[in-house]
Amino acid sequence: MADEKKSKQRHEAFASMYPQLLAIMLILVACVDLCDAATVVDVYRLIQYDISGVPFGSRFSSLNHHAASLSFQRGADLSRSVLILPLRELDLGFLQDYISQKQSLGGLLILLPQTLRPGNINGGGETQGFRKLLAQLENLLVHGNLPFPVYFAFENEETDAMLADVKKNDALGQQATATTGGYKLVISVSEPKKIASPTITNIQGWLPGSRAEGDSNQLPTIAIVASYDTFGAAPALSVGSDSNGSGVVALLEVARLFSTLYSNPKTRGRYNLLFVLTSGGPYNYEGTQKWLKSLDQRMRESIDYAICLNSIGSWDNELLVHVSKPPDNAFIKQIFEGLSNVAEDLGFQVALKHKKINISNSRVAWEHEQFSRLRVTAATLSGLPTPPELLESSGSLSDTRQLVHEDAIIKGVKLVAESLARHIYGHQRKDTKIFADDSSLAVNPFNVRSWLDLLSQNPRVAPFLSKSEPLIMALKKELEDYTAEVSVQHESLDGIFTFYDSTKASLNIYQVASVTFDLLLLLVLGSYLIVLFSFLVITTRGVDDLISLFRRPPSRKVKMV
Amino acid sequence: MTLFHFFNCAILTFGPHAVYYSATPLSEYDTLGTSVKAAVVYLATALVKLVCLATFLQVSETEVFDPYQEALKAMIGFIDVAGLYFALAQLTHRNISQNHKFQAVGLGWAFADSVLHRLAPLWVGARGLEFTWDYVLQGLEANANLVFTISLAALGSLMWLRKNKPKTLIPIIYTCAVIIATMPSITSYLRRVMGWHFPKVVGFELMTSLVMAFISCQLFILCQRPSL
Repeated sequence: MADEKKSKQRHEAFASMYPQLLAIMLILVACVDLCDAATVVDVYRLIQYDISGVPFGSRFSSLNHHAASLSFQRGADLSRSVLILPLRELDLGFLQDYISQKQSLGGLLILLPQTLRPGNINGGGETQGFRKLLAQLENLLVHGNLPFPVYFAFENEETDAMLADVKKNDALGQQATATTGGYKLVISVSEPKKIASPTITNIQGWLPGSRAEGDSNQLPTIAIVASYDTFGAAPALSVGSDSNGSGVVALLEVARLFSTLYSNPKTRGRYNLLFVLTSGGPYNYEGTQKWLKSLDQRMRESIDYAICLNSIGSWDNELLVHVSKPPDNAFIKQIFEGLSNVAEDLGFQVALKHKKINISNSRVAWEHEQFSRLRVTAATLSGLPTPPELLESSGSLSDTRQLVHEDAIIKGVKLVAESLARHIYGHQRKDTKIFADDSSLAVNPFNVRSWLDLLSQNPRVAPFLSKSEPLIMALKKELEDYTAEVSVQHESLDGIFTFYDSTKASLNIYQVASVTFDLLLLLVLGSYLIVLFSFLVITTRGVDDLISLFRRPPSRKVKMV
Repeated sequence: MTLFHFFNCAILTFGPHAVYYSATPLSEYDTLGTSVKAAVVYLATALVKLVCLATFLQVSETEVFDPYQEALKAMIGFIDVAGLYFALAQLTHRNISQNHKFQAVGLGWAFADSVLHRLAPLWVGARGLEFTWDYVLQGLEANANLVFTISLAALGSLMWLRKNKPKTLIPIIYTCAVIIATMPSITSYLRRVMGWHFPKVVGFELMTSLVMAFISCQLFILCQRPSL
């Protein structure tokens, strides 16, 4: 009885261990499967999107082909190879021809120098030349329809070694296929799916002014607006330091300065201040339009004017004020005079640029145009001289931290803050400096630098940002510190754009041996075993035994006869 | 790559054992039972060694050659020798001559060693897309190990099963046995301190195994003369 109980207990103990044992076995097997390749590299996919159903960008994401380099023989078939192109040796004409002739390619891997990596502060002079080339390459890829996967990766020692090897093999004329060995590049991800309803998130901060006693009218409002999202060839790398990280940083700094001023009731101005961080910038400023439409009519009518900030991080001596109302408009004159007076004091120039809005054209090149379409006076401060085309200048691969100078942003902040202050407090023609450098209201360069660094390490393509993205929460919290009331508006990005997911993947690089090698090895091993067998038979049993193994037994027919 | 490569490496690692069994008179005398018993004894020895290693050895993070640790590992390696003694001397075998007994025991021991140490890495690693020479070298190492084990079994049978040996040969027998038994320590010393790469180590093992086999063969023949 006791024995039976014991064995039963033991059985139960074993049975209870089965699931854990099974789990451990599965984990071990899975772990081993995962660390299979010798080299694993992070790669970033080219964007895939449709405009009104017309496909653009790279239409595929998974990859399983041999590697090839530019030194392949002309006329060779690359439809089952991945072409590896380092940016340093890029031949744009060749690529253009290849794409326009719609020749089939297994895949394209573009290797970027490490200096263009987000978060890398060291940039040499060589990167300037690369930026132009990179911009042209991006233009070609983003506006083309490529029926093969295109990935960007950063050069490192392993990719350099692999590329050198592949070039050597290609120069010898051996195309890498299943029978000649070489390198195999594998990216195993699922096919890209449409992003169902991408959201754009606008964050607005409201800083109320002080109302005079017995004044029941609504106070006028001034709005400072900047769009914070980007668009680039590789969505996982579009950090957009200048376009429009610089604008966001400037907006936050101006908000901080005015929150200090407005915190004291004695220095609170008679204007409300509205700080808005909009999304959907590259897509004809859809976020700004939706935000404006969601505003209360009275609120909208109380906006005196709006200043939009766009790409103010890389200018030198002249900052441009873009407007859509004619320059002889009284309001525009007032705004521009205020800005140019302050600029003169600060030691640089501002210039006015006028671009009429064409109502029939749906293209919105500047953010202030959305305001102007709803009859709100607005202007855009920008370092860009000409209006950008659709999906241009909105955070490309070459727009990294090194492109931005903090001084440019600080000068822009001072310009906006001083001109606002002069307008609010009525010091129109006086020569006072409210935000002087050594005062308690000085612009804080450390704040500017840290926010710029943060934004330069976070890609911000709107369809790929979730509603509760940490960066959006951080921006919201920052505005909450500076303003009295913050509201977050989620809208969906409808309209002509459709996006597809799968922006980042891991590339496995395998060094494979050819089938001929395996056959050769089999032959060698077979002969080794046969030799070993014969040797052992000869040494232990004698040569006669070996020969007798091969002789057939004497046939019975002979005996019978 | 993949299964083809796995198959190649498998026949390199385990083929020689099967060939040895079928080529020599072992198959005629049906000594499979002895080999199986020797394999089981090897398993038990391996378990005991594992327990001792776990208890007495300190795991060092770096690949530093610590003489005390290596000496400890060598001493635990002698448990191997004790296991071999048990398999040779203590187990009851059918009536087979000494000549065949040590061969069968050595074969079973080496086969169990190969399976335990090399089958799992082979199954897991050689099937992947990535090609490395590691598994071919591991197969060659298995071959060297087979020769070593059979030589050690031969010397062991000389030491424990043969009573009348020429006095002059006894120290040589013992030194050879000690060298073969401490082979793992020697290879780890070469790999860590001298920084030899795997191919070089495997080449060294193959050469020493041939030399040792030749020496133990000669000793065996020399010791066989008086008893004849």
